[in-house]
Amino acid sequence: MAAFVAGGLCRAFGALLLSSVPRRALPLAPQAGQPLGGWLTAALRGLSGSAPLCTNDPMWKCRVKYTVRPVGMKKTGGRDHTGRIRVRGIGGGHKRRYRMIDFQRLRYEKGAPPEPFTEKVISVRYDPCRSADIALVAGGNRKRWIIATENMQAGDLITNSPRIGRMAVSANEGDAYPLGALPVGTLICNLESHPGKGAQYIRAAGTCGVLLRKVNGTAIVQLPSKRHMQVLETCVATVGRVSNVDHNKRVIGKAGRNRWLGKRPHTGLWHRKGGWAGRKIRPLPPMKSYVNLPRVTAQE
Amino acid sequence: SQGVRQAQWLTKTKLVEGLPPPVLSILQDPAHQLEGYEEAVRRAVSHARFWSTTEVGPNREHYCPVLFEDLIHLCRTMAAKYPSLTKRMLARNYRIAATWERESILLQVRGLNGILLNSMSPIPPVASKEEILATEEHVLETFYPIYPTIDLQEVNVYKELNDTGKSSCFKDGYPYSHPHTLFFLESANVRTDRFRPEQLRGKMLMFAFGNALAKAKLLYGNDPKVLEQPIVVQSIGTDGQQFQFMVFQLNTTDLLSSDGIKNLVWIDSDQNLYERALCVPEIKKKVVMRPAGIHGFQPDTFKKFLALYLHGAV
Repeated sequence: MAAFVAGGLCRAFGALLLSSVPRRALPLAPQAGQPLGGWLTAALRGLSGSAPLCTNDPMWKCRVKYTVRPVGMKKTGGRDHTGRIRVRGIGGGHKRRYRMIDFQRLRYEKGAPPEPFTEKVISVRYDPCRSADIALVAGGNRKRWIIATENMQAGDLITNSPRIGRMAVSANEGDAYPLGALPVGTLICNLESHPGKGAQYIRAAGTCGVLLRKVNGTAIVQLPSKRHMQVLETCVATVGRVSNVDHNKRVIGKAGRNRWLGKRPHTGLWHRKGGWAGRKIRPLPPMKSYVNLPRVTAQE
Repeated sequence: SQGVRQAQWLTKTKLVEGLPPPVLSILQDPAHQLEGYEEAVRRAVSHARFWSTTEVGPNREHYCPVLFEDLIHLCRTMAAKYPSLTKRMLARNYRIAATWERESILLQVRGLNGILLNSMSPIPPVASKEEILATEEHVLETFYPIYPTIDLQEVNVYKELNDTGKSSCFKDGYPYSHPHTLFFLESANVRTDRFRPEQLRGKMLMFAFGNALAKAKLLYGNDPKVLEQPIVVQSIGTDGQQFQFMVFQLNTTDLLSSDGIKNLVWIDSDQNLYERALCVPEIKKKVVMRPAGIHGFQPDTFKKFLALYLHGAV
């Protein structure tokens, strides 16, 4: 009884720890030597050397400072914090290092005014953690990784602007503008639902959304699933399709390639398919609105 | 890939490809050759790459400093002909600190330098007056939209230090007070810990500039001005196989604005002393493709090394 209560308390304490430590502060003292040693040696190493291939540190995601260098990842294998499999079919695969992508295009440097600025694309490379390619861009005093668009090459100049003028801007591919500044009908990607939140939609390889219409202060975008989405016109999106357009045309070729990607095989047991299978023909779901419009109620 | 260009902007320097005319004349003068130097250099390379340890192939941490010591020893044997060469001293683990302002941004060079060769007398200026005045029209290139201070570590400056290790290494009255040549040995074993050639050239430029600036402030005071006697510092960087030669001339300490007289640097980059040094013969399908030994030996690289060493004394 006492042991059961103690076990429950420990688990609760563990959950508290994981959720409430957002920064990589002093690691708790006598835990495993591994995370402590890795953090200290990395700090003492200074500017030289390269990042480790993978870490055993369960808090590798809690890094606060942005860095361009790839960060070692710890694979979950589909297991959640209790240790049991939550998602089937994940495990194994090539080691990956995570490159911290900046999804908020309009992020200004420390001490920079909130004005339009340009950046130069230094290189475009493959990212093992996503289907799209990523681009290293540099502007001012900093470098960051962003999702590359279709025809982005090294040496391009891209602009990021927060201004919405009266006339629509003729945007070049790869630039980031608020939706209110773009002409209706442009193909966009890396869309955010609330201004300043960071891009969460249309990030996969080859996808693009279409700006359908602009209605007094909001804009309506068609997502790649043909769903309509209404957002404030100050939300920033990049122009163009996401890179790596032929991603869906690739042929896996063999079972081994799927295992390299970290996908474990399905079960071989034959199931009769139920109501979930087969082609469905139904009307589009209603438009999703992320705008809190004041409810217009008929008042007497 | 922009190492040297960024260093040029930060130090207000104009780049000239190849070595300067005085050094080239030392190079071509047959009186300054070392007899039998080719054989001696081959011996030095073999010693460093094959014979310096009991293992089959010594790693870079081992052979890079050994090669450097052997080459310096060969250069020093010329002291029999030119006695002024004896008035030089090598300093290791030498710490440099120099501060300057560049368009309202305070920059500084700090840290362990490498190996410094000091001499009692300074090197005479390498560029003529006309060349120095011609740099006035040269425009420093900018990297819009990137600032030239990108990738530099931001630190809080508490003391603006400007010394050639005065507080730690060289007291006043040290006879060998003029920096002559800096040597940079990239001897890390792992390729990612070594600097790439263009990064190495950028590092050489920054440290040569730091040394020259510290010496200038020592001689002429802290006010920014154009120097009538430009200060010349040379620098050689290597990773055991490839050599980068650089001659830097400090013409002005007025670095606040981007126009006016600029400093000059002559760079001769990517000079291989040898292409490959095989410890075991390369065998494919039981046929020896290349025997063990040094391949692609280029004695010219050592001649340039020697010319830079003799510069200032002949």
